Amino acid sequence: MAMHPRKDWYELTRATNWTPSYVTEEQLFPEQMSGHMGIPLEKWESYDEPYKTSYPEYVSIQREKDAGAYSVKAALERAQIYENSDPGWISILKEHYGAIAVGEYAAVTGEGRMARFSKAPGNRNMAAFGMMDELRHGQIQLFFPHEYCKKDRQFDWAWRAYQSNEWAAIAAKHFFDDIITGRDAISVAIMLTFSFETGFTNMQFLGLASDAADAGDYTFANLISSIQTDESRHAQQGGPALQVLIANGKKEEAQKKVDIAIWRAWRLFAILTGPSMDYYTPLEHRHQSFKEFMYEWIIGQFERALIDLGLDKPWYWDLFLKDIDELHHGYHMGVWYWRTTAWWNPAAGVTPEERDWLEEKYPGWNKRWGRCWDVITENVLNDRMELVSPETLPTVCNMSQIPLVGIPGDDWDVKVYSLEHNGRLYHFGSEVDRWVFQQDPEQYQNHLSIVDRFLAGQIQPMTLEGALQYMGFQSIEEMGTDAHNFAWAEKCRPQMKKSA
Amino acid sequence: MSAFPIHAAFERDFLVQLVVVDLNDSMDQVAEKVAYHCVNRRVAPREGVMRVRKHQSSELFPRDMTVAESGLKPTEVIDVVFED
Repeated sequence: MAMHPRKDWYELTRATNWTPSYVTEEQLFPEQMSGHMGIPLEKWESYDEPYKTSYPEYVSIQREKDAGAYSVKAALERAQIYENSDPGWISILKEHYGAIAVGEYAAVTGEGRMARFSKAPGNRNMAAFGMMDELRHGQIQLFFPHEYCKKDRQFDWAWRAYQSNEWAAIAAKHFFDDIITGRDAISVAIMLTFSFETGFTNMQFLGLASDAADAGDYTFANLISSIQTDESRHAQQGGPALQVLIANGKKEEAQKKVDIAIWRAWRLFAILTGPSMDYYTPLEHRHQSFKEFMYEWIIGQFERALIDLGLDKPWYWDLFLKDIDELHHGYHMGVWYWRTTAWWNPAAGVTPEERDWLEEKYPGWNKRWGRCWDVITENVLNDRMELVSPETLPTVCNMSQIPLVGIPGDDWDVKVYSLEHNGRLYHFGSEVDRWVFQQDPEQYQNHLSIVDRFLAGQIQPMTLEGALQYMGFQSIEEMGTDAHNFAWAEKCRPQMKKSA
Repeated sequence: MSAFPIHAAFERDFLVQLVVVDLNDSMDQVAEKVAYHCVNRRVAPREGVMRVRKHQSSELFPRDMTVAESGLKPTEVIDVVFED
């Protein structure tokens, strides 16, 4: 039987809405699951996704992508990436897989929610493909690290992180539950696809693929490119949803969702990507700083996208720009100092050459974070290792679930934003995190941070060791240690002697 | 003995930490307990008297005031700063 050409049927099928007769429109698309804000079905038919594809086209392209990524992996299995790469690169791989792979399944749920509950037929159509994208991303990012498990147990955290109570996993789950699993279809379109994917992951994956190629890890470069091309397609679902909301008088509601999701995405992005780019990546492979990357790829892109849609820059934009200069240095120091609580081995990244680079990229770094690293370095060089590990827990933000950090050293500036709500005291790492909580306390108020759980007696014994066990570490080999076994400190010895 | 959890920022350190003090501790003892987790770890030792205040407050607690007398609530945030 001859196939009809796509142009004969595509427009009709992608814009078709069923007219319910046995149930009401509200029963078919309940507000709680749909998030239509009372906008009727026919208005959502103007939803116009910029990227259009049919099922046969989708399957054919995806098959090629998978075949490409899996054959590169098979061809390069003898390349001994694990043995030959800088330990900083291996840490980036472990961190990435643990933080992302199983999270992709949450995205399957989000895409599924849009595929069923969005009132926009074009959104439902694209989300069905998006659902299959995310399933592929989950599976491929679990399969690829699996070959390393026999060499290094930390790679097992690709699978285990999301099923654990490890603090970074809690932070990731808290965020993804907020923007995906705990939201209606239209919120998912805005908060996951527009704010997180278009704004952050799509661009970050481009950079990561290029970094992987630089590090000689063509398997990972290929995998990431294969995922990124899906992201760049399904991330386009949020824009048209925002257009429908704005055209129907819901700009304020839409803006708030964008503002919440961008901020929350930023904070998670800062702890995952900031240290990777500015500390873990070997100096010779660094093309640009995290800050330069943020300005070139994220800030401009967001500003353009928001203006094009008729939205405003979030009210906290100046705070965001200030954060880009500061936040990830504190996050990095926290992860490194509490490294036993990570499933990867943080690279300190503070040899004299690296400190010069940090000072050039972030003027004032030496008199701020450098002051703390001076003390840490002296301790390492003098074998006072008991002082290079913590004996208590850092306070974590009740929104981001990440430690509360600020500027140390000569310009000391550490601020906590607290809130008493229903008799409970909450602490936040920024004014914006507190604002997010205040927009919808019911969404967040019952969550206990890792520190709250410790204080509630849920972690036994109430020691750092008890906390490590609670986080799911099964052996000492799984707990993070310095990526270079402190070799970096020796490079600092001549300079330390001189300053003494 | 009555354990009392607080969150503490120490001058020149980069973060806030959970520190368990005692309700009967004086503010000098609180400062010492917080300093244990910061000084010589990430903050260089220095001369001077360490003082305690509510987070971001301009008023310092008297050095001999106990936690019980201070009105601090469990898990409230304090700063430990050096007196000029």
